[in-house]
Amino acid sequence: MKRWLLRVIILAAICAAGYWAAGVLFPSPERVIRKRFAEVAKLVSFSANEAALAKLFNTQKLSGYFSPDVEVVLDVPGRFQNSIVGREELVRAAVAARNHVTALKVDFPDVIVTVSPDRQTATANVTVTAVIAGERDLFVQELKCNLRKLSGDWLLTRLETVKTLR
Amino acid sequence: MTCIEHRHPRHSVEAEKLFHLLWRVVGAPQDQPNVMACVIWPPSQHWRSLNRENDSTQAGSRKPSPPWWRVALIGRDPRVTFIRLTITVVLIILIRQFALIPVRVKGISMLPTYKDGRFSLVNRLVFVFHSPRRGDIVAVRLRAGENVMLMKRIVGLPGETVEFRDGELYVDGQLIPEPYLKLPSDWNEPPKLVGTNEYYIVGDNRSMPPVYHEHGCAERWQIVGKPL
Repeated sequence: MKRWLLRVIILAAICAAGYWAAGVLFPSPERVIRKRFAEVAKLVSFSANEAALAKLFNTQKLSGYFSPDVEVVLDVPGRFQNSIVGREELVRAAVAARNHVTALKVDFPDVIVTVSPDRQTATANVTVTAVIAGERDLFVQELKCNLRKLSGDWLLTRLETVKTLR
Repeated sequence: MTCIEHRHPRHSVEAEKLFHLLWRVVGAPQDQPNVMACVIWPPSQHWRSLNRENDSTQAGSRKPSPPWWRVALIGRDPRVTFIRLTITVVLIILIRQFALIPVRVKGISMLPTYKDGRFSLVNRLVFVFHSPRRGDIVAVRLRAGENVMLMKRIVGLPGETVEFRDGELYVDGQLIPEPYLKLPSDWNEPPKLVGTNEYYIVGDNRSMPPVYHEHGCAERWQIVGKPL
């Protein structure tokens, strides 16, 4: 009885390990996109003592997550209300924002990804939280993002702010 | 004389000897087949100490007790510990998923009712038995998930018109007293009709400009529960 039980436990452990390895070696598009968002959050965040060269490097690296024709529509009353079209303009806006704020910590605590049947485009509903240096209140915003698979990478093609409350 | 003998399974040999000694003392014959015995339960202090000595002296028939660090780590019986741990984890998951959500308040929009950094629990089940009411503080989820929620107070119910004039709340043209407001406010917001399945929510700290304060109509499905 004990030997049989031990075999069942070992088999279950092997199956669980195999499932985990498959997830690591062949991740689903949803998992890849969530990982991309986590990387974007890291690149967008910066501390007060970040070197100028590091700022420039991270901003340039950030541009690799957006498509060349990316469109960003921001409508946050009291903060920013503008549209940005094109990756270059987005990078310029990001550099300007970094100079405007001393420190920023961005996180994406909730990401819901819906991949299209052809697995070439995807939509993500995202919650963004940001801790801005000098502000007591936590900034929370919902975003709707469109992504497209270009040259094997998932790139953001459109970002739009969504009103949580009507 | 018909008597009843009752022996507790943990009675030690010494206890039995003492009993028989007492029995001899009271003058009962030794060859009586049935002896009226006292029911030793709950055991007195004397019996307990005798049993303890007996447990320690009868080493040959009992297993040595495990070291204290092993007992602290996995308990006297690892199987029982494992079962208890599994039940505890399952209960925590079920409670977290269906009943109570631990939350930490971040931000100042609900001052002074809820301070920044305060811990609380959101009760998911409260609105199972009744609909949200005016004055209820609620946790409102965003579309993408529940890891971040808004904590606001309901000031307008479905179908009502809500407006702010000089910092005061008016619902359907009637002034609504708000005793929970402790900070000054000078808000002026135009009338807004709350939808049939919506609730108007706003924070208690209206000393900040309304443009920096998240407020408006939340749909019923967005209301997750009520903080304790």
